[in-house]
Amino acid sequence: MKRPGVELLATPWRFPEPEVLDLPGGLSLWHFPLPGQHVAAFELVLPAPLLAEPREQEGVATVALHGIDESTHTHPDIAELLDLTGAALNAHAGIRSTRLRGLVPARRLADMLPLFAEVLREPAYLPEDVALHVEALEASYRTRRQSPGSAARWAFNSALYGTGQRQGRPLAGSPGTLQHITRDDVVAWHRQHYAPNGATLIVAGDLPELDLTPMESWTGHAERGAFPEPSTDRGRVVIVDVPGAVQATIHVGFRSITRLDPRWPAARLAGHVMAGGFASRLNLELRERLGYTYGVGGGFVPGDTASVLQVVTSTRTDVAGDATRRILDAVALTGPITQAELDDAKAYRIGIAPLANETSADIASQAAVLAGAGLTTAYVGEHTDAMRAVTVEEATATWRELVRADDLVVAVAGDAEALQHQLQGLDPQVIDLQ
Amino acid sequence: MQKFPIASAQLDNGLQVMVAEAPSPGVAVNLWVEVGSSDEELDRTGFAHLFEHLMFQGSANVEPGEHMALIEAAGGTVNATTSSDRTNYFETVPRGALDLALWLEADRLESLTITEENFEAQRQVVKEEKRERYDNQPYGDLLELLVGQHFPDTHPYGHLTIGSMEHLDAAELPDVADFWRAWYRPSNAHLVLAGPISPDEGFTLAERHFGRLPKREPLSPRAASTIPLHEPSVQSVTRDVPYSVTYLSWAASPASADDQPALDLLLSILADGHASRLHRNLVKDTRRAQEVHGSMLPNHRAPSLATLMARPADGVDPRDVGSAILDELARFTDKGPSEQEFARAVAQYERAWLWQLATAEERADLINEAYLLWRDPDRINTELDEVLRLTPADVRAAAARWLDPERAHILHYLKDDH
Repeated sequence: MKRPGVELLATPWRFPEPEVLDLPGGLSLWHFPLPGQHVAAFELVLPAPLLAEPREQEGVATVALHGIDESTHTHPDIAELLDLTGAALNAHAGIRSTRLRGLVPARRLADMLPLFAEVLREPAYLPEDVALHVEALEASYRTRRQSPGSAARWAFNSALYGTGQRQGRPLAGSPGTLQHITRDDVVAWHRQHYAPNGATLIVAGDLPELDLTPMESWTGHAERGAFPEPSTDRGRVVIVDVPGAVQATIHVGFRSITRLDPRWPAARLAGHVMAGGFASRLNLELRERLGYTYGVGGGFVPGDTASVLQVVTSTRTDVAGDATRRILDAVALTGPITQAELDDAKAYRIGIAPLANETSADIASQAAVLAGAGLTTAYVGEHTDAMRAVTVEEATATWRELVRADDLVVAVAGDAEALQHQLQGLDPQVIDLQ
Repeated sequence: MQKFPIASAQLDNGLQVMVAEAPSPGVAVNLWVEVGSSDEELDRTGFAHLFEHLMFQGSANVEPGEHMALIEAAGGTVNATTSSDRTNYFETVPRGALDLALWLEADRLESLTITEENFEAQRQVVKEEKRERYDNQPYGDLLELLVGQHFPDTHPYGHLTIGSMEHLDAAELPDVADFWRAWYRPSNAHLVLAGPISPDEGFTLAERHFGRLPKREPLSPRAASTIPLHEPSVQSVTRDVPYSVTYLSWAASPASADDQPALDLLLSILADGHASRLHRNLVKDTRRAQEVHGSMLPNHRAPSLATLMARPADGVDPRDVGSAILDELARFTDKGPSEQEFARAVAQYERAWLWQLATAEERADLINEAYLLWRDPDRINTELDEVLRLTPADVRAAAARWLDPERAHILHYLKDDH
């Protein structure tokens, strides 16, 4: 039987528009009505940046965030009350903003919302809860040190930004800073940063009777500072020793342009060709042809401000040198991007959007990324249209312009002695994670 | 509660087809072949999973690697997974690429073509997968130790799906054809289409693409192994890991048993989240542990494993933490959960269940699972109602029946302090 063709719809998909409501206290509410989504997603984007943490108390923002729903002054058992609504919360404190998000059965959102506002408003931060969260971060620090994937990412950030900048140090603090964190520090961080001004709450789901007035009980005002962009050093090759490792975990990349740069759509597509999909150049080479790895991933990953180009893979140790050199050869892009490669990258990156935004959480998460970057949902459509217009010449030229061998940071986690041998000629330096 | 109508039909060659029409941005194609690591020869562990990789290495009309590339270039997602009980091939595609997706699935079922070269490459890829996911991770052998505490090596469930390096090295190209002949027949597979597609369209497309696969003798039903499981034991291992953990586990009912939902609620009440019974007692009140968790490792034709884990607090002997959990469990079994503890677990179950139904891809997967376990896809429409009908007494009964403190298998996974 003949291979069937693909008939894709002519109507372009559009990211849904939220109903936006600005509360007097400065909280912006984005509501995405999504009929049929019986699990509602919510996500708070709070401009509480790790960049504002005192150097000697790094980790305090994460403790304040993780401990926020343990207990409030009004309800010492608020964790249980939240659970009783069916809600599940998770949280992340980032360099420029803090996210507190969750899922809840849509029919129970109305029960959950007053509790959510209470948690933001009046967490009790009992000393024993603070101690527990500090200990959990210390444990997770040790785990990340011993896990090759996180150790390589850590070494990469450390080499890219240097440990003199916040971006180059562990986001959730180190034992040396965590041990000093007291309940008072946590309370102070909360008082200083948890206020509605400048924050965005996104709510998405099948919520015909959504009432967001409980959020009005969250009041206060926080000073929102401005923080400079970090500087980055020249590229280099670093090794972090993971004793007994049976693989090398390789992380290659550098800091690059923002989403608002006119070259961004071309960069995004070129990154996909290089390391984005199963059919990327590097995955076909290192996995499918050579059997060096379970997979290669990467591309230009956008952040609140700049993006980071990255290529990540894990290989058995005895081919780590060859794999690294092949990655460096490939990113030099000697052979230009072909029309077929670009067409496939466009088809994927444009075509995947509706599938990638199927659920309430997908929509809330994408909207939170936009809010964190100071963008509106209109950006999604503009970016899609701009990707459509990228030519193969632009994709090749953009990649060659942005990706310079001198800028590349290569971080490899694994057996240091074997890796020094493997990476001979690339001037590798063994570093300690701190 | 939300219901998803499911229409079923069987092709003449025995392939079961189920269509669940519902609005979603793409159509999920989900094919389960009823073969997994529990069906492997004991000197070929890991082969069902290796075979899954090989299914992407080309067929009569498809080049190696082309299956994934074509689906991605249609704006779709594609992957496959292998468990003890089944191999799952799936893609979610825009409606206009459904014909292509089904054609690709059928072509490889009909005419898988593997060369020495791509067989070798995928053997290496799978070995790298094993290194990345298990051998190179802290606690990477924990699952194997847990399984080994219950199932003898000779039991079909006594090894992990990823298999052993030795057996992966020993696999040979002719094994591929043998495995395909033994298991990959239409009557041993079931196909779910979920999304914006009517049952008529779905059955027509299934017939067009899969109807030509030859009918082959259905496999006779596989009975559960009669090899006895290990008696409870206490085992200690020492590894270079960030901290010590203690695991308690029990052989419980199989995945299809009526009391599995009550067992899920039980583990949730005991150890899910900071309001759970064990977290309150061991972590918050008596400070003997830093964290506790519970989980179920479901098996189709063997007991599932129910586990409770704790990370002892600094200076606390792991054995004492294990005993503390067993004491608490004995008290729990005596009285059962409070109404509030029970309500909390049910609310959490509801969210988790609805969330699984929220995407066409996961819905399709649940339908295939319901077919595997009960031959009844409609179970996805009644499961939550069943859970909402449970009572605290059901949970207490499940605890009394399966989590007997006297029958706990104990594994101390200790940090090497030297």
